[in-house]
Amino acid sequence: MVVSRWFRRAGPGIAAVGAVVAIASTTFGARTPDWDPPDCVGPVGPGAQSIGAWYRIDPVLTEGAWSGQRLTLGRAGDGTPLQFHLDAESFASGPHRGTVLVGTDDGALSTLTLLDLEAGCRWRVGMSRDLIRHATLDRDRRAIVEHRVDRRDRSDLGIWLRPLDGGASARIIPPPDADPRFGRTWRTELAWSEDGQTLIVESCGEVACRFRLAEVSSGGRWMIADPSVGALVGLTGDRLIAHGACRGLPCPLLAIDVGSGRTAVLDTAAGRAVIGRDAHGRPAVIHEVGADGDTIRVVLSDGHEVAGFDLDPEAGRLVANPAWSGSAIEHPADQIVVGPDGRLPIDGSAPELLRNLVDGRPASLEEVVR
Amino acid sequence: MMRSLRQRRHRLGALLPGLIASIAIALPALAHSPDPSLSGSLFGQDQQLRFRWRSGAEPPSALKTAIRAAADDSNATRASRAATFVYDTAGTNNIGYGTGTCGVNGIGCFTRTAPTSFTMWLREHGRPFDWGTLRWCQMQAEPTNGCYDAETIALDEFGHVEILNHHVNYADESDYTDAVVQTFSRTRPKTGWNMHTYGVCDTATLQVKYDVPTLSSPYSRCLDLTTIVTLGVNDSSIAFGASVDFGSLLRVATNSSYERLSANPLGKRTVRLQRRAIGSTTWTNFYTLPSSTPTGTYRATLRLFETADFRTAFSAPTTEGLRGDTSAIIRVTVAPCTSNCPDPLTAQ
Repeated sequence: MVVSRWFRRAGPGIAAVGAVVAIASTTFGARTPDWDPPDCVGPVGPGAQSIGAWYRIDPVLTEGAWSGQRLTLGRAGDGTPLQFHLDAESFASGPHRGTVLVGTDDGALSTLTLLDLEAGCRWRVGMSRDLIRHATLDRDRRAIVEHRVDRRDRSDLGIWLRPLDGGASARIIPPPDADPRFGRTWRTELAWSEDGQTLIVESCGEVACRFRLAEVSSGGRWMIADPSVGALVGLTGDRLIAHGACRGLPCPLLAIDVGSGRTAVLDTAAGRAVIGRDAHGRPAVIHEVGADGDTIRVVLSDGHEVAGFDLDPEAGRLVANPAWSGSAIEHPADQIVVGPDGRLPIDGSAPELLRNLVDGRPASLEEVVR
Repeated sequence: MMRSLRQRRHRLGALLPGLIASIAIALPALAHSPDPSLSGSLFGQDQQLRFRWRSGAEPPSALKTAIRAAADDSNATRASRAATFVYDTAGTNNIGYGTGTCGVNGIGCFTRTAPTSFTMWLREHGRPFDWGTLRWCQMQAEPTNGCYDAETIALDEFGHVEILNHHVNYADESDYTDAVVQTFSRTRPKTGWNMHTYGVCDTATLQVKYDVPTLSSPYSRCLDLTTIVTLGVNDSSIAFGASVDFGSLLRVATNSSYERLSANPLGKRTVRLQRRAIGSTTWTNFYTLPSSTPTGTYRATLRLFETADFRTAFSAPTTEGLRGDTSAIIRVTVAPCTSNCPDPLTAQ
């Protein structure tokens, strides 16, 4: 169970990935033809920061029932977004250095595709007879980490590593033990620490989540299994930031020392939250105060408040991390993304999506891109 | 950046118990206690919260019916002055169908910004999760085992909106149906899968937070409130056969943890005047004092023919979460009869 060397410290200034809540759950009328990009030439490669790359994934409903998903993606300011229609069992993750990883399962085979929004092409990066529920690209774009279940009985098959150099996939983390405090697992999310060094495997029951952390460089492993802890916000330094085990918002916002398990309460009644960087480049937790989204507070992971400002929730809500939705945008780490109802516009328009973390001053994503 | 983390490496599987004692989530709860409460403000007593379907994310009609039924369930069984929920196309509180603000939560979720607003979301029928596919019973022509009852789940969410946190069950969950607001939702046909009323431990917290509807309303059996009964007389030394006004006041004890229930008068209960003859150690029920007003006052005027000790007793009712109490003792001295004396037994 050694974590191989496919991790590497992310370079300074790397863009954070902000998630967007995919709220809409309606079926769109006429089906837009899927984007059919050509295959990319050559290996995936490390890529480069790509501010403005975004995606959003929405359910497709047939008579009120989930029948598939629609992936919309593009680059801010680049005009008409692209679309893919996916199977009912499908996901997207990223964007990472201009790429979005997409998985879809036709009932017999899971297929992984890496879409390059910069080059307008795709890599067909893998298939599996196991059902790939979720996957993420590592920070260097050299491997894919997958969560798989057995398609026959939905039993958890653990976390797998798929090298992109053609090497064989291998399981790197076993499934979690059954634990009645969490109940059966509803969702397994894969995320990376703020510095890209540590893989976070988040296994959530109906309300509470447990976390397994795997540090790449050292092979260190940790587990946090406290049923009073809920959805992940992120991992920064040695603090795992998470909500309490709540069924809604507001909810306590917690900072858990990974080494000791000591928990500090950053806010007793927080709304959505993300990890970013403050004006001095320090990792920070940015969260709504309360559930209505009209006040933003910026704190360090030790709880020290460094900034705060008001937002007009009618104009835009803080967009939460990818596990809360299924869509995201690459953006500067010292800014937050806001959007109508906490999501990106489905048409890809991006007027003043960003807010400066010092004073909440708006900025246009197109300006940043340019 | 991860230095300290590296220095504290643990084996995978090591458990790191979180210490969240300082979280202001709740009334701390033990098994079979009232539901814990969420942090945050309350809605107003009997505040009417009007909801509508979220534009662009309207639930299918079968779920709309279930959600409206759950609102009615909440209103009908809140046993308190908690907020009420009413569907109104002009309402300002959105209920949606889809991903919404649920994050990683499995089945549904809410937001509450008391006292102004709330939202609610239910997940999509047919959505795949790690364990399998979510199915709402109401979305099936013939509900199959393993489906979730949307009315129950929506009632759970309405309970959260009020202020309720998840009930803490006994280890064997034998008390599961004492609360509909549960961490783990049950599927058909497991007991409790289709609860359409609040449980007694839900209403207990609603009563603590919002008060009972009237002073004579029953208190949830999930509560265990100390009561105080007092007794007073207008004259404790009377002539033979004269009348004495007995007045008793019954109320909930003053206790900050009882919140809105603290010191509540208790009307329309059974308060008995008990008598003990001089020299006896036995108390006998002498008279049941009528509750003349709903304010917890119990009065009677009685003629007395011999000296005795009196007290009032409130016995713990089996149908309510109230403890019994007895008042302090008052001796009423009756002067000896001097003329035309009746038989004391008959007179009593």
